[in-house]
Amino acid sequence: MTEHTSPDDRLNELTAALPRDVAPPPDLWPAIRAELAPRSARTIQWTPRWRLAAAGLLVAASSSILTLFAVRAREHTPAAVAVTPRDTAPVAEERLPAHLVVAERAYARSIDALWRTLDERRDSLAPSTVATVERSLRIADSAIAEARSALEHDPANRVLEDLLVSNYERKIDLLRRATELAPRT
Amino acid sequence: MARALSLVRHEASVDAPRLALGDDGLVERARRGDVDAFEQLYRLHAGRVYALCLRLAADPVVARELTQDTFVKAWEALPRFRADASLTTWLHRIAVNALLERRRGEKRRSARVSLSEDEDAAEKIVGVVAAPDVATAIDLERAVGALPPGVRRAFVLHDVEGYTHEEIAAMTGLAAGTLRAQLHRARQLLMRALSL
Repeated sequence: MTEHTSPDDRLNELTAALPRDVAPPPDLWPAIRAELAPRSARTIQWTPRWRLAAAGLLVAASSSILTLFAVRAREHTPAAVAVTPRDTAPVAEERLPAHLVVAERAYARSIDALWRTLDERRDSLAPSTVATVERSLRIADSAIAEARSALEHDPANRVLEDLLVSNYERKIDLLRRATELAPRT
Repeated sequence: MARALSLVRHEASVDAPRLALGDDGLVERARRGDVDAFEQLYRLHAGRVYALCLRLAADPVVARELTQDTFVKAWEALPRFRADASLTTWLHRIAVNALLERRRGEKRRSARVSLSEDEDAAEKIVGVVAAPDVATAIDLERAVGALPPGVRRAFVLHDVEGYTHEEIAAMTGLAAGTLRAQLHRARQLLMRALSL
């Protein structure tokens, strides 16, 4: 920011730099998929004749199902009850504040991009260097996991938030330096 | 922090085209009931819809539900989608409607509608950002999340997503004057929060 930038312009700059795309939780599509009604399903006109037929079918089906359950109950232990995705507890990422979810997705994309670059150049690094980088990355990952876990239990804790962010920064910095060590092949 | 986020911004800053390459055929197939085609549309657009929901709701659990509702409703309404319209805008409109419905439900359930939330907001936001050198994306996201819901919605749709006043009025039913006032309020609160 220059000295002459007005607060309005600075706010515009910051807003323009926000990511417009934030990857949704990976298990969201299966939950959506489960709710999609078949497109070919058509509405039945409930005329009196249809009502009678449906009532007959319902009685027959209920009776069969009750019999089936009675027989199965004697033969087997009860099966696990299916739970819809919305009944399950939120996944860990959803216990974090929204701004950290956005930041984590951005970090994940940066880390992926750096990993791809590093993978392409890996052969030009000495095995001992690769081993050192990998060991350091494991330490960074462990520190991230620890801070993240603590934040899930105390999402409003700013110290933990700063710790998580700085651990991600450290990992990105490490990856960036590793890619710089490896010349382009 | 800013470095990491700006790296992503380069990929994401390009406006989603009216119909991304291949969307046209996918929409047609999904209209006919092809779930695989709809999944591909989801993969193309879910990131932007989720980002919008996350910022509008300021709550990842609600954002997830809104995104889910948006795509389920989109599937149901797809046969009525006009191919000359922008799929992104159409999805965003569904998301905003889902949020408004949810808010109406919450207000009905709540015995008290907080008229003072706007006044309280300034106090809540100020102090969120403590250090003078942290005017970065994460601070702005946090400050946006702390805005009162109506003010936040106006800011996200106008300043983040780039919709015009007319488009926002069509999506939300807000009067032009109200929208202008909310945008002004949002910017004032954010500038105070970020110490700009």
